[in-house]
Amino acid sequence: MNELLTKLAECVEFGKINLASPYPPQMKGQEGADEITRQALEEGINPQDILSLGLMPGMERIGVKFRENKVFVPQVLMSAKAMSTAMIHLKPHFLSGAAKQKGTFIIGTVLGDLHDIGKNLVAMMVEGNGYKVIDLGTDVGSDKFIAALKENPGAVVGLSALLTTTMASMEKITKEIKDALPEALVTIGGAPVNKEFCSKIGADNYSPDPQGVVEFLNTKIA
Amino acid sequence: MIREISYSLSELTIDVKYLSSMLGFPEGDLPEPFGEYVAQAIQEAESLCDIRGAFCVSENCKFSTNNNHILVEGLEFGVGKTVAKELRNATSVAFFICTAGERISSRSQELLSGDDPVLGYVFDLLGSIIVESATDLLQADIQRMAFSEGLQITNRYSPGYCKWNVADQHKLFSFFPTNCCGIRLTDSALMHPIKSVSGIIGLGADVSFRDYTCDLCNQVDCFQRSHRRTI
Repeated sequence: MNELLTKLAECVEFGKINLASPYPPQMKGQEGADEITRQALEEGINPQDILSLGLMPGMERIGVKFRENKVFVPQVLMSAKAMSTAMIHLKPHFLSGAAKQKGTFIIGTVLGDLHDIGKNLVAMMVEGNGYKVIDLGTDVGSDKFIAALKENPGAVVGLSALLTTTMASMEKITKEIKDALPEALVTIGGAPVNKEFCSKIGADNYSPDPQGVVEFLNTKIA
Repeated sequence: MIREISYSLSELTIDVKYLSSMLGFPEGDLPEPFGEYVAQAIQEAESLCDIRGAFCVSENCKFSTNNNHILVEGLEFGVGKTVAKELRNATSVAFFICTAGERISSRSQELLSGDDPVLGYVFDLLGSIIVESATDLLQADIQRMAFSEGLQITNRYSPGYCKWNVADQHKLFSFFPTNCCGIRLTDSALMHPIKSVSGIIGLGADVSFRDYTCDLCNQVDCFQRSHRRTI
């Protein structure tokens, strides 16, 4: 594989944003995702390859490390920042059709809940793995999820909750989505929910970590 | 009668080691630049916080026979079996609200969705620590008042935990004037600013305070539970 893409994957995995960034200490003084992505484009590397062979493997590696408790939220956020910095250079190529994302993922924290760190982590990880992400924010009711699904046919919905008391809201939203759009796929996550709850409310997937959501999407829409 | 109190950041206990552990790193092992982020956030928080709390006490409280509800001033609170059990020997209850203010939350949100998500995350955790620490002081005020009358207090319990329906926030907030301490409720009973806490404390001669309450609650990923696990 092209050496630049290997370096780019490392930048994302270890959260090296750009040359000026002091993080991670072992890469201090080295170019980051910003410079390497620009250089890759200048050298004529296909934007799709930059995404698929450079950025996504790096994001997948950090996702697996997070699942295994080898890294923590701040390090994932650094990786996500490196990824999003690189994506700024790739965005025009997505718009022109020269590069394509795998599909669309709609995410929100359910009505009655304002917690969004977990939701944001999932959104960053999914985006970093090549999907377009529509983040509806927090305290979101079924009407907004359904409207977003109608605007983006084939998208998958992710519902997040932190409070035990908002599990009922998650159940109601899942039911209303399924009633309005029976083919829509719903994945759920958050501290109070589990696989059994997922089955009970008729959702299609439960993931205890962001990487699990990526894996679900890869099996369903990639 | 409602008692309203303001706190300065310097009055609170902000444990940097605890904040580090909340970030996920083992105690004393905070790699750079995360230590700098923590220092920056604590320094900035001084000017960002508007820490305020309030409480009121009602002696007009009754417990339902099914043990899941309490009645205060004629309003029924579905606190759930666990909280009702802890409160049942109380002869009065104190409702409280407390906040770290709007600006620390908005600063966190701005950074999380913008240039510096890591610093935004640090502010988010710091905001939680600040409001919990301020609520400790508010609870200590309630405890002093109870002790002066020869009473004990229970732990504090909040809507949204231990199966106490968060919708009861509207009833709880009806005991305070609109926008008290700058806190307002959404229709879905969520507090703004986000870094706010509300709840109830039981007072009475025969109530007791538990050193550890996490076993009462099924919220496995709770802020308080992870705190206690690290100390």
